[in-house]
Amino acid sequence: MTSSHAFRRFAFAYGTAFAVLYVVALKLDLALFTVYPSLGIVLLGTHHSRDVSGPSMAFLAPAIYWYGWTATAALEAVMVGVVAAFLPERWTRRFWPGWLWVVPALAMLACVYLTMPWFRLAPPGN
Amino acid sequence: MATALLIIHGLVAVALLGAMTHQTLATWAPARARPGSFFGRFRTVPSASFANAIVVLYAAAALLGGIVYLYFRVDIRPDLERAGHWPALGLFDLKEHFVAIGLALLPAYWVCWRHPRADEPARTRAALTSILAFIVWWSFLIGHVLNNMRGFGL
Repeated sequence: MTSSHAFRRFAFAYGTAFAVLYVVALKLDLALFTVYPSLGIVLLGTHHSRDVSGPSMAFLAPAIYWYGWTATAALEAVMVGVVAAFLPERWTRRFWPGWLWVVPALAMLACVYLTMPWFRLAPPGN
Repeated sequence: MATALLIIHGLVAVALLGAMTHQTLATWAPARARPGSFFGRFRTVPSASFANAIVVLYAAAALLGGIVYLYFRVDIRPDLERAGHWPALGLFDLKEHFVAIGLALLPAYWVCWRHPRADEPARTRAALTSILAFIVWWSFLIGHVLNNMRGFGL
């Protein structure tokens, strides 16, 4: 097993796995950490405001989940990539190279589907 | 600071857009004869030589975008939410998702271009390049629209 072959297997598995795991993290809201930029705070895990008395005040401490979703998917995809790098060549040859672009393309469509609620929100006053 | 970072982010994005478009056109429509037209010359580039630059520019643009995003989330987005610009925010969310997926594809993209294997279908490389080109164009246009939201009168 040469290092370039191992890196190829890692890269292919990482790119494919990340696309799937990112959609899972987005759908299930699995952020490795939550960032509150205005407060300069980073909390482990996904944290949503539990202020039920004034949810409209959420803009005072906006939370960022995108970094956390990306970190969750990246961490898991690295594990998948490392496993793939150590698999025997004869096993990974069965992997259809087309998955490398089909899976991310499908993941992007899934992201569009998961973002649809934004487009159904009415502007203020309606 | 935020304005300076945003301008640098935009300049890196322009360079990336140019490199990505050159490579994508050269991949799908390679010029066989000596080109006479502007379009012909545009696509007559050694595609593989663009791969390193694209990987570096994409990573740099994503990193800068990730930093600028902190300012966007605190100073810009709450105003857009209060004004009810939900479709624009949805399109921007898609930009975030697409950029993350594209970032993870960079190692495979680099391997496909710099260390191609004889038994590997050229379609894989072309499709991967096209996906990245779509992400780069989408990100550039949506970022541009959001940045100039008020100028567009939206």
